[in-house]
Amino acid sequence: MQDLLEVENLQVRLFDRTGPVLAVRGVSLSVGRGEVVALVGESGCGKSVTALSLLRLLPASAQISGSIRLDGQDLLALNSQQLRTIRGGEIAMVFQEPMTSLNPAFSVGNQIAEVLRLHRGLRGGGVRARALELLRMVGIGAADKRLRSFPHELSGGMRQRVMIAMALAGEPNLLILDEPTTALDVTTQAQILDIVRDLRTRTGTAILLITHDLGVVADLADRVVVMYAGAKVEEADVYELFETPRHPYAAGLLRALPGSAAARQEAGPPRLAEIPGIVPTLRAPLASCAFAPRCQSATDQCRTQPPLLAPCGPGGDHEVACFHPESAATVSA
Amino acid sequence: MSLAIVPDPEAMLKAAERSGRDWWRRLFHRPPAVIGLAGVAVVTIAAIFAPLLSPYSPVASSFQHILAPSFSPGHLLGTDELGRDVLSRLIYGAQPTLEVGLLATGLALVVGVPIGLVSGYYRGAGDMIVMRVADVVLAFPFLLLAIGFAAIFGPSLRNVVVALGIGSLPGFVRIARAEAMALREQDYVQAAIVTGVRDRVILFRHLLPNMAGPILVQATLTIPGAILGSALLAYLGLGEQPPTASWGTMLTAAQDHLFNDPWLAILPGLAIFITTLCFNLLGDGLRDLFDPALS
Amino acid sequence: MSDAVLEVDNLVMEFRSRRGTGVGRVQAVRGVSFTIGKGEILGLVGETGSGKTTVGKCVVRLLNPSAGTVRFDGQDITRVPRRSLRQLRARIQMVFQDPYSSLDPRMTVAQIVAEPLRAHAADSSQQTRARAAKAIERVGLPSAVLQRLPHELSGGQRQRVGLARALVLEPQLLIADEPVSALDVSVRAGILNLLADLQRSMGFSCLFITHDLSVAEFLCDRVAVMYLGEIVEVGICDELFTNPCHPYTQSLLAAAPVPDPVRQRRRTGVRLAGEPASNVAPPPGCSLHPRCPLADERCTAEAPTFTVVSSLGHVARCHRVEEEHSPRKPWGQAATSV
Repeated sequence: MQDLLEVENLQVRLFDRTGPVLAVRGVSLSVGRGEVVALVGESGCGKSVTALSLLRLLPASAQISGSIRLDGQDLLALNSQQLRTIRGGEIAMVFQEPMTSLNPAFSVGNQIAEVLRLHRGLRGGGVRARALELLRMVGIGAADKRLRSFPHELSGGMRQRVMIAMALAGEPNLLILDEPTTALDVTTQAQILDIVRDLRTRTGTAILLITHDLGVVADLADRVVVMYAGAKVEEADVYELFETPRHPYAAGLLRALPGSAAARQEAGPPRLAEIPGIVPTLRAPLASCAFAPRCQSATDQCRTQPPLLAPCGPGGDHEVACFHPESAATVSA
Repeated sequence: MSLAIVPDPEAMLKAAERSGRDWWRRLFHRPPAVIGLAGVAVVTIAAIFAPLLSPYSPVASSFQHILAPSFSPGHLLGTDELGRDVLSRLIYGAQPTLEVGLLATGLALVVGVPIGLVSGYYRGAGDMIVMRVADVVLAFPFLLLAIGFAAIFGPSLRNVVVALGIGSLPGFVRIARAEAMALREQDYVQAAIVTGVRDRVILFRHLLPNMAGPILVQATLTIPGAILGSALLAYLGLGEQPPTASWGTMLTAAQDHLFNDPWLAILPGLAIFITTLCFNLLGDGLRDLFDPALS
Repeated sequence: MSDAVLEVDNLVMEFRSRRGTGVGRVQAVRGVSFTIGKGEILGLVGETGSGKTTVGKCVVRLLNPSAGTVRFDGQDITRVPRRSLRQLRARIQMVFQDPYSSLDPRMTVAQIVAEPLRAHAADSSQQTRARAAKAIERVGLPSAVLQRLPHELSGGQRQRVGLARALVLEPQLLIADEPVSALDVSVRAGILNLLADLQRSMGFSCLFITHDLSVAEFLCDRVAVMYLGEIVEVGICDELFTNPCHPYTQSLLAAAPVPDPVRQRRRTGVRLAGEPASNVAPPPGCSLHPRCPLADERCTAEAPTFTVVSSLGHVARCHRVEEEHSPRKPWGQAATSV
């Protein structure tokens, strides 16, 4: 069966004042119906650019190549009118910063109604009823009062819930969540995660979750794609990735978290595993592994050849792009 | 650890950072600002190199050639009612114009910025007093002030400069104060306070350099007002006196000849208009440059 | 506790805000008390609106407390005029959250790190340069960085510069206001390790303000949890994290997702309802009661006082905790305050 979203060899070139930037270098991924796929990496890895390119939300100067298929339909071949039907309709996106994503001049109800009219063709009384229903679905109490509220009257958590309600209004098959809880307090974040989890069970929407927070990934994701410097370095089922990360970067990320057990195991003062150096930004194609300068296991081979994605481990759905992937024994759970 | 930092794609999609080096290049991408800069450069060159550029002395009168029209032999723009070459007077006229514009603005800056800086940094009762005084000065018609000065101290360029300088003060006080208030809340200023750096060091090492941009913009936008003001005052006879060539005095003299030789009024008027416009364009361009939202 | 480096007693910070109609008073900090001993790292944990940053600013006198006292090294610095504070400031330093605004964009790293020296020490310029270079080395940066401007450095490097600046005078107390919150995970680890190392080698005390419990657990000796301007629980790390007593602490621990899908998906925990109340009109009685699953009538009327939970200084401010530890006191009688 065809996956809902199939991205093949996506390459995105952006331009800044100095010249071209290879933001995404040949990324392929897929999201099945009802599946939650997490796209993980730190700032500069290209995960947000990947998401924005799905909806062609990048600046006009960006060069995108590759193929992006939604239900078999090539998104990159659509004209702007066709794209508009898709955006908010079959694919909806929730952004990180709820304050700037909502129009401050219109009430919440107004903004939800706009989506309902545009994408579901609802009219009149049906709009209000459905809007109320959506607000209740995202756990907003006193929904009829909230319909008349303006964004500045709501707290960050409320606004994010409204964003999710608006995204769901179009009844999308794919929901893209771009760092949905990064700007929120941890207790609010927990509430939003509860809502997303609940919605996913109820509506069966597929979710592409973009985040740098491995805790959120552990909570929600079915599969995890780890990105570094614009390329995919590892992909695995979520349980397998956290238990046996193979790529040194993924393993390093897990070991760097204060919550992980690895930090407390050594004798003497506790230390977090550091990854020295910074994420590079590439302007020209690399003839080596992008992570090699920061990698403890790097060899000459890593510095002269780019590693390709290859399956590793049992099951066949765990891929890693590395010449010296970590073996299961060296990583502590 | 590599020190070569390159902005990452995500950050690029948001806002670009300002780099000190290429603001010059960016200014050139805005045609209005380039025009403004060119105009200001022309006027400045005219003022500085007047003796070299102008064909005649501005005060050399010749009764044989009075009111010659433009394109007369030897006088590209004709002569005025006293036979003086108009082109030369226009070129020399740039001098008092720029002088007043720059001096008045300079005076307002040198007095106004420290007041605004201190007021915005310390706030409190002193700040309120300063703001109310600035409001009073703003409400006061500078013309009255200039006339008053002239009446008491006699008409001269110096008095015009002082009067215009006082009139332009509130603008600088306001901008310096607004910047000081905003910059004070920046973490690096708070860090300096916590470190125990003396206040005057904070004001001069941290605040002043970081508000140089907006103040420069304010200056570039104050100069045209000062120029207009000085032309007006000269026209009214309250500034420099004839036979000094200035666009304002040229206008005064041209009044009596509006029907037989309108160009005597149009040309200095045009000069004032173009100079003012060019300063405004340059100032706008600089302001856009410093506004991070538009980068 | 005469060897305490910092003693904060009943600190109150009130702001006047002009919102809507008329002037309102917002109490960002409503009676906070704690001490920090020599060489101790105290974590101050809370979400937005808890008042933790305000507490930090009051301690360094960036804000003037409305009420209460702050004693540094035995000396009352609460209402001392700013001029006399200057000398003292060499001994209390601060690191800020935002690496992009905490360094003056027009100064080189060398100038930034040398500024505290110029403000306090009477060194020659050569000595100043040497001390600045040493400070930069201490935070793990190469000396080439000294000539750079802040915009040429990454976030992590800027935070190291901030740390170098704060520690160049070798202060007794460091206030760290969310120093790693704006950094990527892999960069965070480096800064946290650095902070831990420096604290061990230099021996300064630290007030570490954060919203991230796991970071607090890694770095701090003791942790105080704040909600809506008050401290609700304090304890040493070992005790607080293994036996959190206050419902708010429990909900914070339950809410922070654990990077382990097996554990994370099995977790159930205290979930607070709703959003934090506003500081303008905090709920009467216990400020958590509208959201607390354990709240009862007493909580809506009577503000709880601290109950001692262990002999190692673990205290919690909650009626349920009090009832659990001293069941003989029915409601209505005067409770023994701690």
